[in-house]
Amino acid sequence: MPPSRPTPIVLLLLFALTAVSSSPLPPEDGIRVVSAEKRIDLTGPIVKVFLTLKVENAPGASDASQVLLAFTPTEVEHLAILKATRAEGKRKKKAYVPLSVEASDLAATPNGARLYSVLLSTPLKPGEKTTIEVLYVLTHTLEPFPAEIGQSESQLVYFRDSAVLLSPYHCLEQVTYIKMPSNRIESFTRVDPTSRAGTELKYGIYSNQMPNTYLPILVHYENNRPFAVVEELARKVEISHWGNVQITEQYKLKHGGARHKGVFSRLEYQSRPSMSGMSSFKNLLARLPPRVHSVYYRDEIGNISSSHLRTDSHKSELEIEPRYPLFGGWHCTFTIGYGLPLQDFVFESDDGRRYINLTFGCPLLDTVVDDLTIKVVLPEGSKNPQPSVPFETEQHIEMSYSYLDVVGRTTVVLKKKNVVGEHNVPFQVHYEFNPIFMLAEPMMLISAVFLFFVACIAYLHMDLSIRKSL
Amino acid sequence: MAASSISTPVPVAWYPTLAAVMVALGLMLAASFFIYEATSSRKSRSLAKEITTRAVASVFLGFGSLFVLLASGVYV
Repeated sequence: MPPSRPTPIVLLLLFALTAVSSSPLPPEDGIRVVSAEKRIDLTGPIVKVFLTLKVENAPGASDASQVLLAFTPTEVEHLAILKATRAEGKRKKKAYVPLSVEASDLAATPNGARLYSVLLSTPLKPGEKTTIEVLYVLTHTLEPFPAEIGQSESQLVYFRDSAVLLSPYHCLEQVTYIKMPSNRIESFTRVDPTSRAGTELKYGIYSNQMPNTYLPILVHYENNRPFAVVEELARKVEISHWGNVQITEQYKLKHGGARHKGVFSRLEYQSRPSMSGMSSFKNLLARLPPRVHSVYYRDEIGNISSSHLRTDSHKSELEIEPRYPLFGGWHCTFTIGYGLPLQDFVFESDDGRRYINLTFGCPLLDTVVDDLTIKVVLPEGSKNPQPSVPFETEQHIEMSYSYLDVVGRTTVVLKKKNVVGEHNVPFQVHYEFNPIFMLAEPMMLISAVFLFFVACIAYLHMDLSIRKSL
Repeated sequence: MAASSISTPVPVAWYPTLAAVMVALGLMLAASFFIYEATSSRKSRSLAKEITTRAVASVFLGFGSLFVLLASGVYV
């Protein structure tokens, strides 16, 4: 259907009607989206969406301090991270981040769509335009279909979304690009104008969409990328002021794609790798900080020797190979541990407190973590621990006991669900520590040895003979 | 906000050497203490000398065993 530009009067009428009809709209109903470009990246197990919105505040409306984004209830369930930046400046655009806060109780949106508001740092004046770039990641939204495949079959998945942007505002012009990992696309819903160019699908350009329109589309395509899902990850960071930060990580890994059915023929897997086991994976790459030492990779049986460590001055890469390749629905459990030098990670801030600077998230690349727990064990005698993480986590404090401990070590526990690679940002834990406490450990050893000698002396001085010696 | 990075009280590269030296010294002092006990008779012992030798020996042995632990990777 060819897009026809209605006259400005009709446009204003439509706009006024919208403003009146959907009554409890937020005061920023003067905003409308001039152009929206949505780029969906499906080359991987997670869905990454880059949305560029050019919004304009209508002349005659009030200052707008927030822009609303709408998501369907299923999208909100699987939303891992939502980030927004705004381009500032003319030539060299510096983008910084306005806060994104949930505001789901505003406006009666149809079918339970939830709203997230992006708070602008400077309000948008009437008649002004600005560009907002939004990134969000959805996990576990690609549905494998068929749900069970044999060893030599390719993995096909369903992706469901809307051809037009779901937005509480009027959209003047919008286009959606979907990028696939390979050329094989089984089927896709056609909502004219739709075109396909190799691995990219284009839905657009749609003009003049009413607020809260949703046109569902279904894309069935081949995705043989490794669907590595870490069901549980428990990371323990132990700080010792004698010079080492020891990190131990326990993983429960699963292949989250189409389940494997039938037998697994090792002969077929190894003799014809291009035709067999296309959707399986056997390697995983972990990115560790530089100057790492004493790396080990083991599980309950013992050490796993199929791993490689490559270090350079910026990073270390650990490539691990589990004992067997992982097909759909298969699990494996393992532990990775490594030590890091103290001076790279623990610093002293200006107010006298110490803090440790670590990276949140999972060091394995291209994985989704369903349940992440990070425990930071502070040295004995630390007081007032205070974590500062750039996003929401559950936090609590407990005590753990380790070598040569009397009172126990304060431990900060952080938990988060649905963690993706975009969560790998630094976070800090501040604490107070008096250096004199470091002497507590040698004092304990010295007193133990001293007591042994006192016992010797006491025994030698005691006279245990029945008769008096001459 | 980041200021200086924290360094250990003793450079990490010295741990194995310090461990060996301190344990050796501590064992020598402990040996001299036991020899003193064995060779002197009960009456001619002086408690003050015993306690000082013992204390110094235990200091060296204590620090030495700490550095042995640190050098072998058990960061206490």
